[in-house]
Amino acid sequence: MIILNKIISFYYREYKLNLSGFQDILTNIIFFFVSIFIFIFSIGPDKEKISTLSIGIVWTLLLLSSTLSLRKFYQDDFENGSLLIMHLNGFSFGFIAILKTFSHFLFVQVPFLLSIPIACIILNIANDKIIYLVASFAVGSLTLSCLGSISSSMNLMNQRNFLLGSVIVMIFSIPIIIFSVSIINIEESFNSLISILFGILLIVFAINPWASGLCLKLSIENN
Amino acid sequence: MILVKDLSIERSNKKIFENINLAVGSGKIILLKGKNGSGKTTLLKAMLNLIEPSAGAIYWKGKLLKKNLYNFFNNVTYIADKTSSLGKLSVQENINIWKRIFLSNISDSQIENILSTLKLDTYLFQKVNSLSFGEIKKLEFLRLILENKKIWILDEPLSNLDSESIEVLGQTFEDHRSKEGSIIFSSHQKSEINVSEEILL
Repeated sequence: MIILNKIISFYYREYKLNLSGFQDILTNIIFFFVSIFIFIFSIGPDKEKISTLSIGIVWTLLLLSSTLSLRKFYQDDFENGSLLIMHLNGFSFGFIAILKTFSHFLFVQVPFLLSIPIACIILNIANDKIIYLVASFAVGSLTLSCLGSISSSMNLMNQRNFLLGSVIVMIFSIPIIIFSVSIINIEESFNSLISILFGILLIVFAINPWASGLCLKLSIENN
Repeated sequence: MILVKDLSIERSNKKIFENINLAVGSGKIILLKGKNGSGKTTLLKAMLNLIEPSAGAIYWKGKLLKKNLYNFFNNVTYIADKTSSLGKLSVQENINIWKRIFLSNISDSQIENILSTLKLDTYLFQKVNSLSFGEIKKLEFLRLILENKKIWILDEPLSNLDSESIEVLGQTFEDHRSKEGSIIFSSHQKSEINVSEEILL
């Protein structure tokens, strides 16, 4: 019961923090939509071409937009000592990584999830494909949050090069993009492809607490 | 309660300190003294199992600290040299968050009294970012009361505090000592706080 109350308190704190930094979330969403318009203008008025490329565009932009928020994944909590307090309050570093990953999913990825239908209308994506896109993003974005947790915790040990973490996320997200785009383009294979995406999620989810937890421990030790 | 035995720490092949022995019992206030870079923070971090010692061991209630870690954490409050309050939020919001995180049952009127003693009551609805460093540090000390733990470990608690605040902190330490609590804190400056033992690093 005590641990449950502590977890609820953790998310209350994350909610308060994200509410006060709401402009950051809004900026990410605006970046996403502005980039969509830039793609449309650069492709030209050919509706068919836009429709063919649209799924790839949405996924690429979702990936780029969510990497924008990675810098703050652990950085603020690390700098102001909150990570240490969470640890001394009874959470192992691995468990903190799991909690922060869900927090990132909830406060950064879910707003994107909600904006996907609007992006689909702008990009002229067929209505029946929207549900597949949302489903693939729901699974894929949690995987991206796990990868983000690993790369951001690595960044704490390498304060000079933030881009390295973003590059790591992008490289490891290639399989997610391949299977997510395939889900929408080959609808009859939806079940098998979403299972593969789930498989990738489970692998990354299992690695995340160990890898991130170790990086958090080492960065606090060396700070 | 805490026993530090023959503790040595090396970082990047450089000896920070060696063969430190220390016993923190009930009702004791221990001051770690030393110049900048003498290893005060390192010793405090080692006592929290955040740094791996190169030799020696730390015991908590007779067991190796590592094997009894979360039980130890349940009994300790650590105030680092950095402040953990969230700058974007108000003083009130920070207190509410701490109350929830530490499952504190301290009443609002008690908090008001402490804030008034620390002269922070007028800043209740102000964002922490707008406070001075000394005021933010005083706010951090509120955690000592909210967490209500037996052992207090504080890193440089006196820096950036005016003499009046140091006096209040000294009185708070005395109150905690009288309740059989233990305190270990570091400082590189002279303090008028009444301590049981001084350790020079």
